[in-house]
Amino acid sequence: MNKVWAVIRREFIERVRTRAFLLGTFLFPLFLAAMMVLPALLLTQSSGTRRVVVLDGTESGFGGRVEEALRGIKRGDGPDAPPQYESSVVRATGERLEAVQDSLIARTGLGQKAGPSLSGVLVVTDAGLASGRLQYFGDNAGSPAAMGELQGTIRPLVTRERLEREGVDPMVVMRAIGPVSVATQRVADGKLTGQSGDATFAIAYAMGFILYISLLIYGIQVMTSIVEEKSNRIMEVLASSMTPFQMLLGKIVGVGAVALLQLSIWAGAAYGVTTYRTQLLGLFGVDAAAGSGIAGMIPSLPGSLLVVFLIFFVLGFLLYSAMFAAVGSMCNTVQETQQAQFPVMFLIILGLMTMFALLNDPNSPLVQTLSYVPFWTPFVIPVRYSMAPIPITGLLVSAAVTILGMLAIVWVAARIYRVGILSYGKKASLKDLWRWVRTA
Amino acid sequence: MIPPVIRVDKVTKRFAGHTAVRDLSLDIPKGGIFGLLGPNGAGKSTTIRMMMNIITPDEGKVTLFGGEGTGRELSAKVGYLPEERGLYKKMKVKEQLAFFGETKGISHRDAVKKTAAWLDRLGLHDWTDKKVEDLSKGMQQKVQFIGTLLHEPELVILDEPFSGLDPVNAQVMKDVVVEIARQGRTVLFSTHIMEQAEKMCDRIAIIARGEKIVDGALTDIKREFGHRFVALTFHRNAEAAARVLQDRRLVAKADDYGASAEVELAHGAESDALLHALLQAGVGINRFEVVEPSLQAIFIAKVGHAAATATASGDDR
Repeated sequence: MNKVWAVIRREFIERVRTRAFLLGTFLFPLFLAAMMVLPALLLTQSSGTRRVVVLDGTESGFGGRVEEALRGIKRGDGPDAPPQYESSVVRATGERLEAVQDSLIARTGLGQKAGPSLSGVLVVTDAGLASGRLQYFGDNAGSPAAMGELQGTIRPLVTRERLEREGVDPMVVMRAIGPVSVATQRVADGKLTGQSGDATFAIAYAMGFILYISLLIYGIQVMTSIVEEKSNRIMEVLASSMTPFQMLLGKIVGVGAVALLQLSIWAGAAYGVTTYRTQLLGLFGVDAAAGSGIAGMIPSLPGSLLVVFLIFFVLGFLLYSAMFAAVGSMCNTVQETQQAQFPVMFLIILGLMTMFALLNDPNSPLVQTLSYVPFWTPFVIPVRYSMAPIPITGLLVSAAVTILGMLAIVWVAARIYRVGILSYGKKASLKDLWRWVRTA
Repeated sequence: MIPPVIRVDKVTKRFAGHTAVRDLSLDIPKGGIFGLLGPNGAGKSTTIRMMMNIITPDEGKVTLFGGEGTGRELSAKVGYLPEERGLYKKMKVKEQLAFFGETKGISHRDAVKKTAAWLDRLGLHDWTDKKVEDLSKGMQQKVQFIGTLLHEPELVILDEPFSGLDPVNAQVMKDVVVEIARQGRTVLFSTHIMEQAEKMCDRIAIIARGEKIVDGALTDIKREFGHRFVALTFHRNAEAAARVLQDRRLVAKADDYGASAEVELAHGAESDALLHALLQAGVGINRFEVVEPSLQAIFIAKVGHAAATATASGDDR
């Protein structure tokens, strides 16, 4: 047992020390923090308050209402967020309109150099109201976000104005076209979970992906490091003091521990960044109220789901890395593994794809069946659990099936490994593998 | 009677195309240096791997220490230097060695302490914190050698320990091996260089094409082989000498030149007995030099020149 510990510790320490691990582990939280801070930062600092003149050419003074609406827009969500626009109205009708418009445009977009400069001129005319084509001249006309906001502000006002002109009470219409939505709530075991359907979807999706990525990164690490040990001929030194099973166990657990460490650092970072969002934004001098960033996108993770996920994650990792280990042991070079790993990759990719099928209908017969196939339970069960209730017996049966399947595959993989690690030369054929598994 | 440290009992190992070891039996007694000799591809490494239980024999049985377990189970008592050297290239020397020690069952702290002592002894002190890949080939081999001995095994098995070493490093390793044997521990090493074995080994076994040609104590082997010569020069009583040289119990053949003679000892005769007989006869001796046949000569005589130099590992019979 001490020998297995020695292997686990070696694998763990040597891997954690690599530059790739350190970079990967600590860049992700930085990236997450950047994702949080940057949008908020951009929102507050990219454009200051915009000076906009509404050139009102209507008989009814509609421009005044537009200007009022613009003045109400604030940057960010908070109650004391600064206003987005510093607006004013200039009235000009008939022939004067064009002259005023030209003189206003001449004062637009001058930058800092020439006194008070305008950001833009919004021209509102009766003809424009009728045709639905209003004009805006501005230095920020190229910004889709700014233009979208401007249009969004004007559109209801125009609708209202048109309705009034047709003699229809706008309030009636507003009530009639008021939004309709179906609020979704997850029910498990006959109880409300307090989670919305969207949130669980995101969790399920993320979990499947985390499993997929971890299997790819760390499963392949197990495989390549075995090939390296073979080509370094270090295998023989190890094989003289340990059983192949001890070597295999130590390697998989060691690499698995690195995977768990990295994942927990990432999870901790995600949690920290969302929890201390206000302080984090404060560091950059950004008001917490400004910009919701990605905080709203990270839903809370229920404890029971985390447990189910971890159990199946570990089982899946053991199962697949044992297979990767077997592949590594039968190859002599990393290049050879590219081809030999295909069956394993195929199973993993299939697992990811069943997850998409699952997201469509968590209770379909296909999904029910896959819940009992060891290769795919690690993908299917946590996602299913997050979306629709699974009876506890079903959960236990799935876990049991997975454990049995995992043990069977580890057993076969260990037998291949046992022979493979000391076989050099030709890459093993299927027939060879079968012989390796059978020999005592 | 003390059981042999290693008993190889009628062992056969076949690989896909050929038989690597055929019906091989060997007893390696406790203590001393045992040489496993043979040309390349003779089955030395296969035999050693079976001793270490890295591969299992198809037929027959290998027992260590009188049957307490396999080489792997007894790895705390056995040190093994494989023919193909293997180290983790990215690991630091001291951590690499501590890891090897741990896989042999000694504690981490112990392993670290012993590593430092060995690195000092073999002149690798300045390389303690270097990565293995920064070391020269010879230094790597010394590191591997330390890894084999770190846990102070009772039995040390070295597969071609001196290949690829410069004379200075080979000397250092030889000194260590001799010292281990002096401490009453057992060393078995394989080599295809006969001269080396001749100088170091108490006992040897020669194998070729997977079969044992001869084994036993080196002196016995030489005596049984015969063809031992004595170069004699005498300054007095040449007639008496000539009479002694007629004795067919001692001398098989003699070329008498009057003041000197080249004598081939009789089969099984001791050179001591001849010297004694000459002195008793009152012969004045200037020179009495026993010229023993070299292992190389014995080997060639036993297996034929072709087999002695065969290098192909896959030659089937």
